Amino acid sequence: MEVRLPDGDARSRCAELVLPHLNSAYNLARWLSRNDADAEDIVQDALERALKYASGLQGTNAKAWFLTIVRHTCYDWIGRNRPAELVPGDGTDAIEAAADPRPTPEETVIADADAQALLRAIAALPVGFREVLLLREQEDMSYRDIARVIDIPIGTVMSRLARARGLLRRSPLLHSVLPQSMRTVGK
Amino acid sequence: MNCNEAAPLLPTYGDGELDPMQSAEVEKHLLTCAECAARRDEQVALSARIKRDVPYFAAPPSLRSRIDAVLAGTRGTLRSRPVWDRWRWLGAGALAGSMATVLAWLMGSAVLEWRDGTDLAAEAVADHVRATLSNHLTDVATSDRHTVKPWLSARLDYSPPVQDLSGEGFALTGARVDYLEKRAVATLVYRYREHVVDVFVRPAAEGTARSRSPVSTVRGFNVVRASGAGMDWLAVSDTSADALTAFVARLARGDAAP
Repeated sequence: MEVRLPDGDARSRCAELVLPHLNSAYNLARWLSRNDADAEDIVQDALERALKYASGLQGTNAKAWFLTIVRHTCYDWIGRNRPAELVPGDGTDAIEAAADPRPTPEETVIADADAQALLRAIAALPVGFREVLLLREQEDMSYRDIARVIDIPIGTVMSRLARARGLLRRSPLLHSVLPQSMRTVGK
Repeated sequence: MNCNEAAPLLPTYGDGELDPMQSAEVEKHLLTCAECAARRDEQVALSARIKRDVPYFAAPPSLRSRIDAVLAGTRGTLRSRPVWDRWRWLGAGALAGSMATVLAWLMGSAVLEWRDGTDLAAEAVADHVRATLSNHLTDVATSDRHTVKPWLSARLDYSPPVQDLSGEGFALTGARVDYLEKRAVATLVYRYREHVVDVFVRPAAEGTARSRSPVSTVRGFNVVRASGAGMDWLAVSDTSADALTAFVARLARGDAAP
């Protein structure tokens, strides 16, 4: 049954349900925008949108609902600031981009060379693969919730995840990451 | 099941998204096939590396204060609106329909509040059972409390005290983040003899001293509550209520080495 709450109650209830996921929201925005200040703007913007559409939150899964809004806000931001990133690609370019020797902002916090290689490979993934991989590996979200956030079928979640993992495995930078025995299998 | 059937299912299996029947068949195959087992290990290794090495960006304090300002603004505008204005939407729809909705809402929230008061233990037991059944007890598996604490504070808006009480038989094995009453909470995972003990920790609720008994039993699991060190503690395990009560009291006292 859909229960419509008075506006103010819906908003404060919405804030209450959404705020526990502030870290997840910031992490997603940070990984998609790759910039601290922009990620903050995006999350604030997303929260304002969330409060505006508070009645759309049925209380079933506040995290997926909020991250959907955060992701939309990110894409609006990327569309305004870096439209080239939204051109669909298969990620092959990303492997070459990953060989770029300049350190990315993420890498400056990591000393370990293997960890840096992994970061660089993930940061270089096309945004559509990166978001699926991070929602799965960092947020431990189910396929169903990821499908909801990105608004794609579950089958597409699975294929993008497979593609993202495949790209990481094939990335020349990561050859030092996985033990030899693991790399020779499954070619 | 042979390799051709098992290989495409491996990623889904690794993500814990296969149904139990298929899962069992893949597991059977993995026991006999070194090649598929190596592929599975590769995925596990990659996931573990991402979890360990890829930074998780927690919301910085500057963002939190901006959010607080947004919310304060929300409440401010609410207070300034006249009461009748807040109810004007009633006039917009059919009155009968609105009344039915309001009634349903009142009943719904009454039921929710009642459930809220009684279901905390059941919810904690459900979390415990889910973690045990899915064999996903910990998101971070380590007995080092200096690893567990920062891992938790990066994912929550508070930092729970973490103690390893191996000396008293309760060995810290790791932690995960669960949901209790719609909020993310820290779950510390201990082993006591052959028993898994989940300890849910969250900041002490203000002014809600609960009168219920601190010890209850849900579906055969003992649930013990305590307050202390600024936190509410709730332990779930199939071990004896006495051992659990002593353990939780010890945690809540929080007088171990810093």
